Amino acid sequence: MASLSLEGIQKIYPNGFHAVKDFNLEIEDKEFIIFVGPSGCGKSTTLRMIAGLEDISGGTLKIDGKVMNDVEPKDRDIAMVFQNYALYPHMTVYDNMAFGLKLRKVPKDEIDKKVREAARILDLEKLLDRKPKALSGGQRQRVAMGRAIVRNPKVFLMDEPLSNLDAKLRVQMRIEISKLHENLGATIIYVTHDQTEAMTLGTRIVVMKDGVVQQVDTPQNLYNTPCNLFVAGFIGSPQMNFMDAVCKVDGNDVTLTVGKHVLKVPASKRKALIEGGYDGKTVVLGIRPEDVHDSEAFISNSQDSIIESTIKVYELLGAEVFLYFDVEGTQMTARVNPRTTLRTGDKAVFALDMEKIHVFDKETELTITN
Amino acid sequence: MDHTPELEKALSELKRITGITMDVKADTPGETEQALSQIRCLCAAYKEKYNKADFLKSLMTDGIPSYDISERAARLHIAPEEKRVLFLLEAKTMDETLTEILKNLFPSQSKTYLVPVSGNSIAVLRPLKSGETPESMNQVARTIIDTLNTEALAHVQLSYSAVVDTLADLSAAFRETSLALKVGKLFYSEQTVFPYNELGIGRLIYQLPVSLCESFLQEIFGKDIPESFDEETTSAVNKFLQNNLNIAETSRQLHMHRNTLIYRLEQIQKRTGLDLRLFEDAMTFKIATMVINYLHTERNQ
Repeated sequence: MASLSLEGIQKIYPNGFHAVKDFNLEIEDKEFIIFVGPSGCGKSTTLRMIAGLEDISGGTLKIDGKVMNDVEPKDRDIAMVFQNYALYPHMTVYDNMAFGLKLRKVPKDEIDKKVREAARILDLEKLLDRKPKALSGGQRQRVAMGRAIVRNPKVFLMDEPLSNLDAKLRVQMRIEISKLHENLGATIIYVTHDQTEAMTLGTRIVVMKDGVVQQVDTPQNLYNTPCNLFVAGFIGSPQMNFMDAVCKVDGNDVTLTVGKHVLKVPASKRKALIEGGYDGKTVVLGIRPEDVHDSEAFISNSQDSIIESTIKVYELLGAEVFLYFDVEGTQMTARVNPRTTLRTGDKAVFALDMEKIHVFDKETELTITN
Repeated sequence: MDHTPELEKALSELKRITGITMDVKADTPGETEQALSQIRCLCAAYKEKYNKADFLKSLMTDGIPSYDISERAARLHIAPEEKRVLFLLEAKTMDETLTEILKNLFPSQSKTYLVPVSGNSIAVLRPLKSGETPESMNQVARTIIDTLNTEALAHVQLSYSAVVDTLADLSAAFRETSLALKVGKLFYSEQTVFPYNELGIGRLIYQLPVSLCESFLQEIFGKDIPESFDEETTSAVNKFLQNNLNIAETSRQLHMHRNTLIYRLEQIQKRTGLDLRLFEDAMTFKIATMVINYLHTERNQ
């Protein structure tokens, strides 16, 4: 397997469209890296540049320390899995997996060995004689993966491979891919727009927007300490609540005022606001839905972070309840215990877990407190 | 006398196309020339009569009169009337690997025909299956691209036509796809699939005569027509247009202070006389930059 280095990678198309801007990343051997971001953010373009399917307009791409910018795709020792995979309809599973190797004129016995090994890893051994139409969606996807595995590449590149599958199959295949990573010990770069896939699969996640890398970190760090408003809003479902708040510094005390609600900032978050000169300025206060509490015990211990509102929508999801309400014209969500007694139309009191708040600069949208 | 290399090549081509092996006795250069000419005629006649790809290529390039289409199609067992879509693929080189993948993706029983067009392009004439709509052709196009990317690791771009009902419509479909590929590569180079019916304003500009484009640019910019704008300006303007001329949103997305963005827009106004904060000027600027790109490519060609 392999390590990769992307230094100042750029992609500018002939029509002037700047798809990827100054992309820097070091990927270690056996890492599972996820590129995530909204449609058109440059994640697939970056992957295609690594594969050699797109020319690199600027910067340097290295695989195992060797510059790859001008190396032909077939000589980069990579394999790709795409969203719109097609199996050859008239070929068996075995032949489908062997086809790429046959094209490369690999000896027959070597092909046989590689196909059977890939089939073992993917649990396809009993299906090798079947034709694609006799396979389920998940089995077909596994065959598509098998076509990449038989190449025994240094790096696997996957471009939204699960996007065409239904929700149930997606969850199943997510687990399969995770197992595959463990079994193969491979370096994998995986593109997705689905943040659940990103959070569950990746050892590190690269969040992209408008061709620019926003943050590179572990799933846990991205969730707990997003570097800007975009990452905070993109990672997490339901997404983080955001409210405009006025910061007031009084000696060592700092408060954030949202309309009539005055919230006391805990000691751990004060320093950045005081030293950043935010006294009197409007900032963006962010809090995740699970950090908005409705339990009496929490509320009685958090009298400095109370907000009041009326429940607009009550949504029971079985193991949890989402409560939707407005605070000073901004819609908020609380993720609470299903035993809650609150229902649509009820007047409600919530307490924010102020140790978990995120504060962002309104102008630059960068984090102040993380 | 030994066969000349040219004669050897012609004989092996004849064998490849027809399966016929010939023993040619040519002792003088004149006899060789005569043999070559006869072999070529034989190849051409055979291709015309039995080769589906050759027949379809002739159809695509208007090489067959309309009254002859049905009879020749029947001889080759090609249904003259069937709903089909023409895909035109272009790669750096359309090598054996790509052709082999396509052949396997569309095996013979699928009634899909592969027609080599040039050294770097191939056409795929595919019937519409029951339940398929013209919209589902986009999925087929993406599948072709993804399969070629996966198996051959080749950069391929593709255009496809509207649905054709008869073989007689094939030449129009070929013109459509050729145009779509050219326009797509010129104006939407970041994409790989170009449907003929989604070319937008690019199609309009591409079909304008160069002289008209030049006078349009002269009308806007005067004598000082900019060759291109610097990358930062282009990027800022593109983002500004994408965000419906919203300065706050654009500066936020570009991580740029709004005054810097305003300064850049004013610089463009100084240079071109167009205030991009006004819809009409922004639209004119967008079209003008597309026309500049088009002329630039035309001149390079």
